Amino acid sequence: MNIVAVGINHRTAPLEIREKVWYSDDEIRAAVVDLKSNVFSECFLVSTCNRTELYGITKNGTPTDENGALIDQLKDFLITSKSASHAVERKHFYHFFSIGAVNHLFKVASGIDSMVIGDVQILSQIKDGYNIAFDAKATGSFTHRLIQATFHAGKRTRTETRIAEGAVSVSYAAVELANKIFSDLGKRSALLIGAGETGELTAKHLVGRGIGKLLVTNRTRSKAEELVASLGGEVVDFERLTQHLLHADIIISSVAAPQHILTKNDISRTMKERAHRPLFIIDIGVPRNIEPSVNNVENVFLHDMDALSGIVDQNLQKRKAEIPKVNAIILEELTEFHNWHESLQVNPTIADLRNYFEAIRQEEVAKNINRFSPENRELLELVTKRIVNKLLHTPTTSLKNGNDESLEDKHTKLHIVRSLFGLSKGAHDEEEK
Amino acid sequence: MKLIIDSVNFLLPALYFVTVWAYAKAFFSDSLSAKKIKTPLFLSTVGIHCCYLLARTLFFNHPPITNIYEIMTMMSFSIAATYLVIEFWTKVKGTGYFILILAFIFQFLSTIFIHDMEAVKPVLRNNLLGLHVSSALLGYAAIAISAVYGFLYLMLYHHIKSSRFGVIYTKLPDLEALERMSMVAITFGFALLTIAIAVGMVWLPRAFTSFSYADPKLIGTIGIWVLYGVGLGAKKTIGWQGRKIMVLSIVGFVISFFSLTIVNIYFSGFHNFH
Repeated sequence: MNIVAVGINHRTAPLEIREKVWYSDDEIRAAVVDLKSNVFSECFLVSTCNRTELYGITKNGTPTDENGALIDQLKDFLITSKSASHAVERKHFYHFFSIGAVNHLFKVASGIDSMVIGDVQILSQIKDGYNIAFDAKATGSFTHRLIQATFHAGKRTRTETRIAEGAVSVSYAAVELANKIFSDLGKRSALLIGAGETGELTAKHLVGRGIGKLLVTNRTRSKAEELVASLGGEVVDFERLTQHLLHADIIISSVAAPQHILTKNDISRTMKERAHRPLFIIDIGVPRNIEPSVNNVENVFLHDMDALSGIVDQNLQKRKAEIPKVNAIILEELTEFHNWHESLQVNPTIADLRNYFEAIRQEEVAKNINRFSPENRELLELVTKRIVNKLLHTPTTSLKNGNDESLEDKHTKLHIVRSLFGLSKGAHDEEEK
Repeated sequence: MKLIIDSVNFLLPALYFVTVWAYAKAFFSDSLSAKKIKTPLFLSTVGIHCCYLLARTLFFNHPPITNIYEIMTMMSFSIAATYLVIEFWTKVKGTGYFILILAFIFQFLSTIFIHDMEAVKPVLRNNLLGLHVSSALLGYAAIAISAVYGFLYLMLYHHIKSSRFGVIYTKLPDLEALERMSMVAITFGFALLTIAIAVGMVWLPRAFTSFSYADPKLIGTIGIWVLYGVGLGAKKTIGWQGRKIMVLSIVGFVISFFSLTIVNIYFSGFHNFH
């Protein structure tokens, strides 16, 4: 396979290096157009906050480690087109060849190469990168097939394993917990106290899950108004905090305050007034905003940072345990991709074509051999073989002499021959995906 | 026919055991194959159990409600059938283990001790009695199921409170759903007990000369009925919810169980079945 991959990620470089070679959509477009005209026959570039990766099909010959010059050229290209040579060096990059590059792409797509294992966004980020290259006409039949196989592998890992299950951020863990207490968040309301980042994220996720009503309060009212402008909801007075407790089922508190803003007495009183309807309190303030003994009040569930981090750690462990299953899927997908690629080689196709004709010839000869006298039977073999050879002569030479054609034309031709004669090994219909 | 009934009698606890095992496997170890087979297995178990009860009724020429062990197999069936309705209705399929284990225990006891009574007192062949007993049984089954959901609620409640996020946390449905399921079961149970008591009050004095309003079982059942009535009333009027009402559902079940077993065996006057 003529494919080569060069990239940088969270394993090989810290954020301050990675962000220097982050490519915007326009920069990706410019880069792939440049590479397509000078280096590759097909290519695409994926860039996210955790990685920038370039995949390309070289114009001739399978690249190997001996092609050090090509690799260096690509690394330098990624650095210089971002004018980042003062900070980024070649050693921050890794590279893969041939099936190794495909393997790496499948791993990335399945989420096991991500900073947070099982990251679901990466698949759509790969898609975005590919689409930009596609629109810029930098892709071709090989990359097209490669990207299809990549999505197939990525989707399979998400449906067949638990690699993407369970909350892996504190804010999601809080929402997951809310869903264990309340059936329908649409009928519940949440009160966000303070403007901490995690608190805001949690509120955002709750809005994403369709929380019925969001109330926001802050000592500085303008900050609360800012939040409401972006998240929706309603601003309420900080001074009348305990009154608002009556209307909220979920409270997210992230205030920087030296002492508790809600005590056990406050909550006990509130619970009586709200007829003991369950109340879920998330305290992400440091130091803690809510008196810990609040958790002893009936139907009140108080959780702090530690508890939520516990959920996150546990889910990460579970995801890690799924990696072997993901690797098994990747291996299957790699084998399939390899078979497809093999099937597009000229010689195997010619061999398959010959076998196909030969099988028909033998079948017909066997059926009719008794109609011929023993002395004519050898002649029958000879004549039929000659017919088959003559029939196959032109297609065989046409396939063999295709060296001056572009890779894409060659693949199209082989594909047509294979589908016309039903030589389907590994080359199953692309339309079905 | 007798042979078939006897062999199915021994087959049933085995079937319930396998079903419970599949539900446990699906719940605790997330086994995919167990998840696939558990519902078909459960359906066929309930189906066979239903045929068994019909066969008994036809062959012995009376419904299987004439002694405590016949009642137990009816109880087992009532629990399984009620759970079946709940599973199909709520689409919450994870909690079967905790309920079907009760069906298994009742069926197991019945299988071991059941004896065939060919001569049954004519008083036990009455249609009103059938209605009285079957509504009481279904009512008790609903109460048992409500208690199981109450118990699951309390488990999850304490796990969440103490930040334990293990199997119970991941696999059980949310607290609100558990409370709702328990409440649905209680409401059904209460309605069925009301029917059982009403029919009993009308029919028993006529059927039994020894009938007395001081019968311990009658008093027990009415006590349970009042308890659930008060609980449901408190929920409607004061808006009780959460832990308190779930504790009540468990207390109610414990008293019912006591009434159905101990009182039945040791104290009952005319109202005994063995």
